[in-house]
Order: sequence, then structure tokens, then C-alpha cells
Amino acid sequence: MFSEGLFYAFSVLAVLGALGLVLFRHPMRGAMSLVVTMISLAGLYSLLSAKLIFVLQLIVYAGAIMSLIIFIIMFLNIQDNDLPVEEKRFAYTAGGIVVLIPVVYFLIKIAGTIPGVEATIVGSGFGGIKEVGLVLFQDWLLPFEIVSLLLLVTLVGAVVLAGKRRVGK
Amino acid sequence: MSLLDILMIAIRVAFSAFVPLCFIAVCVWMERRGAGFIQDRSGPNRANIFGFRAAGLVQNLADAAKLIFKEDIISAHIKHKFFFVLAPIIVFFTAVVSFGVVPFADTLVINGKSYIMQGIPIDIGILWFLALAGFSVYGIILAGWSSTNKYGILGGLRSAAQVISYEIPMGLAIVSLLIVYGTVNLNEIARFQGELLFGFIPMWGAILQPLALVIFVVAAFAETNRTPFDLAEGESEIVAGFHVEYSAMKFAVFFMGEYVALFVSSAMIVTLFFGGYQIPFLATKTLITIAKPLAFVLMIGLPVGMYYFAGWIRRSNISHYPRENDPRAFEAKWYIRCFWGLIVIVELLLLAILLCQSGGDTINIFVALLQVCTFLVKVTMMLFVYIWVRWTLPRFRYDQLQKLGWQMLLPLALLNIFITSAVVVALS
Repeated sequence: MFSEGLFYAFSVLAVLGALGLVLFRHPMRGAMSLVVTMISLAGLYSLLSAKLIFVLQLIVYAGAIMSLIIFIIMFLNIQDNDLPVEEKRFAYTAGGIVVLIPVVYFLIKIAGTIPGVEATIVGSGFGGIKEVGLVLFQDWLLPFEIVSLLLLVTLVGAVVLAGKRRVGK
Repeated sequence: MSLLDILMIAIRVAFSAFVPLCFIAVCVWMERRGAGFIQDRSGPNRANIFGFRAAGLVQNLADAAKLIFKEDIISAHIKHKFFFVLAPIIVFFTAVVSFGVVPFADTLVINGKSYIMQGIPIDIGILWFLALAGFSVYGIILAGWSSTNKYGILGGLRSAAQVISYEIPMGLAIVSLLIVYGTVNLNEIARFQGELLFGFIPMWGAILQPLALVIFVVAAFAETNRTPFDLAEGESEIVAGFHVEYSAMKFAVFFMGEYVALFVSSAMIVTLFFGGYQIPFLATKTLITIAKPLAFVLMIGLPVGMYYFAGWIRRSNISHYPRENDPRAFEAKWYIRCFWGLIVIVELLLLAILLCQSGGDTINIFVALLQVCTFLVKVTMMLFVYIWVRWTLPRFRYDQLQKLGWQMLLPLALLNIFITSAVVVALS
């Protein structure tokens, strides 16, 4: 199946990107591999026919947030000798893997108990902008407004904090 | 899938992949001749093949040959070679792919089956364009950063800050448009603009949303790094900005990516504000009913237009001093012959359309071809506006640029959203 192949490709890319984020030494390489993960996640959303989330993932995470992070990494001009020396890097990695083994075992067990329901085709409007908008503004209006208030508070807070430091100087 | 389905998919993908590439040559040619025209000089008119200069188009071939055979240098001080090579690819690729959602004709009906006329068959249209416009920043940042060159870094920083801050007014201008159109699908947006306001004005975005047009066009200029917003390249201050370390084809790919982005943003402006593929006053249905009279008018009009065009070529393509067996006149004679040959082919096709039965698939294909031509003509006109502005306006200073974005365009776009939504709520 074509979509199954795409699923495997996106999953492998997402995991590889996440591994790259942890294992690459230079922050720019780490950030770029995180971009790969973000784009692969968008691909997985589109395979689940969540069109709106697919494009929002591309615009917000892969586009806006990651380009800001990369912008800042470029701004800091990090050289190789600025980075801390990590001698026991591989020992820590191995230790982390050992600690994670029971968790992964548990997760695999959970995934095994999910009933193997054959794929059902959802309605053609599923995940579209109109459908998501209707659900958001009819059934989930109050949580939506609370979250937007929270975001507004964060925004104002960021501006206030950034402004304070400049006055102090 | 029948053979016809596969053919239609191949046609639409080929169109949306190759037309932007062909328009690189047109853009470069228009840029040079336009610059010449505005600065009252001739522009490139010497490069030729056997004496044929094709009004300066041959210069593009010479440039391409030069760029391909130049030595491709990666300086020894560049440590991150992978990102250095990746950067131009990102810029070019995102520009080409973002054209995929632009419809170049209305849905074509053949044998009762409808075929969508855009490269990528998704209905999120304008959001896809926004997403890929965001991705092209990576190319510029990576190019500036991996060059390990102070001018490169400065250019990359300027460009990234500029693109990120102008994305916001652009997105807000699009929000007010979406309130009017009620859809993000570009094909539906183009269809909406085919209708008439009060029965005689085409409902183009430019008429319904003039403020959004101004904001979007300014933001689109900034997004494509064109003058007056070309601080990223600013030759007089930072040499060439983010592509200062690039040579040969790597530079050419940046250059081509820039022109593809120019083409795509013109196509986007045309689709959102100037009716897309719609011929003014003639929506697709009207066009199908009057296809035959229209073909007849074209059959008469084309030779008449060609007659005057041939006269213009003969008058303007001559040496400015007396010469024996003027090679320019010889050249003009062949151009005129080629154009007449083209006209004869088009006339034969139009005759075939006149002779076929009405209401059939041939008429539908004819209408789709007319719409493709309309779309390309509109995009070319918009491209000329870009060139016109580039050779007319001086460059902004960097603080002026950020002030314009955040203190002028952003409040205006917010105001526009409030006014638009109030009007839409009041009317519904």
C-alpha cells in the first residue's frame, strides 16, 4: 500500500530527526534535524486526513517557531570551542537507553493490545478547515477562549520582560 | 484510472513545474529590457546566434552557458559544507513547489468527468503558500550562516528578520480576504471573482478589498526580497548579502529561485485580487456558451493584430545608419515569417473549433486554453509591475523597513479585518 509506505517513511524520518537533535554536537545541526522531525509529523497528520493540522504544523512549528530558533542560533554565532566538552557522552547515552528499556517495553505492550480494527474511511469533510472551525466555536468555545487568553497573557508578559531589561541598562 | 486521467495528471503537474521555470527566462529578459527602457537605453542587444538576437533573449542563453561552465568554488573556510550546498536547493525547491496550488484554469470537464487544473490537488490553497514562504527563510539563513562571512551573515540576518516580520501583515491581509471569500481554496476564490457586483463590476479582490491589496502587495515585495526591500542583497552596503560566497551554478540556483518566487507571488496576487484565470465579465459558463462567436472574433482579430505587429517589427528592427544588405532587416523578415507561421497554426485550430459540434469537450478544452492564456497574460503584467517598481524606487533604510512593517501595515491590516468583518456581518 502506498500510504503504508509513506507512513513508514515519515515515521523513520521523524525518529531519525529526533535522534539527530540529541546526538549532533553543533546546535544548528540539531535544530535542522528537529525541522525534519516537524515536517515528518506534518506528513503523518496528513495521512490521518487532518488537513488543517497538517498545514498548521507546517506554518507554525516547521515554519515560524523553528526559523526563529535557527535565527537565534545564527545570531549567537556559536563556534566549536564554545561548546562544552562532553567526555562521558556515550556513557550517559547508554545509561539513558538502559533506563528507557522498561518504558519502551511497556509502550510496545500497550501498542500490542490495541484491537486491530481495519481502517475505516472517515467522511470527506473530516479535518477540513470548516469542520474544525465549527467544532471549535460551537462545542469547545470556552476552552478555546481560555487558551487564547493564556496566550495573550504570555505575549504581554514577554513584551514587558523584554522592555524591562532595556530600561535597566 | 483511464489513459485520459493519467494524461491530465501529467499535464497539470508538468504545467505547474515547467511554466515557472520557463518564466525565469521571461523574467530575466523583462528585467533587463525593462531596466533599459526605464533608464532610456537599449539593454542587452548584442548576443546573437547567426545574427538572430531575439530582442535580447539570446543573452539569457549566453548567461546560462557562462554560469554552467564557471568553476564551482567552495572556499576552504566554509566548515558546514552540507548546509552551504543545501541552502540554494531549499530556496529554489520551495519557490517551485509553492506554485503547485495555484489554479491556472477552471475545472475542466471531459467526458462528464471533471479535472482540477492545479499542480497539487489539495484544497488548503493559500495556507500552503504561506507555509512554503516560511520555509524559504531557511535557505537564506543557512546560506548567510554557513558562508562564514560577515557580509553573508548580515545579509542573512536582515533577510530573515524582514521575511519573518512581513509574514504577519501578509497573513492578516489574507484573513480579511478569507472573510470575504469564505474559503481558502484558490480555485473557489477565482470562481467567486468571476461573478459581477451590481451586475456590471467584476467582483475582483482588488475592488472588494483595496486595503488588503496594498498590504499584500507591499508584503509580497518584502517576501521576495525585491527593491525597495532588497536590503538582504544591498550591493552598495554588504556586497551581495547572503549569496556573496556562492559561485557558478549554486549562485544561478539562488538567482533562479528568486525569479521563480517572483513569478509565484505575481500568480498569487493575480489569483487573490485580479480574478485569477477569469476573463473580466466572462465567467466560465458564459464563456462556454459564447465560445464559437469568440473563436470567430479571434480568427479575424489575430491577423489584424499580427499585421500591425509585423509593421512594428519592420520599423523598429533596423540599423540606425545606412548599411548595404542590412542584417537587421533580414533578421526582421525572418521574425515576421515565424510569427505568421504561428498565427496560421492558431487560425487552423480556431477553424477546427468553429467546425466542431457545440457543447462538446472541444469547447471545454478551448475555454480552458483561453483561461490559461488569460492567467499568463495577467501574471506577466504583474511581473512588469515588479520590474517597474524595482527600477523606479530607491532602497529603504533598515529601520524604515521595520517601522513600515510593524507600525503601518500591521495596524492597517488589523483595522481592515475589523471593518471587513463588520460589513460582512451587517450584509449577511
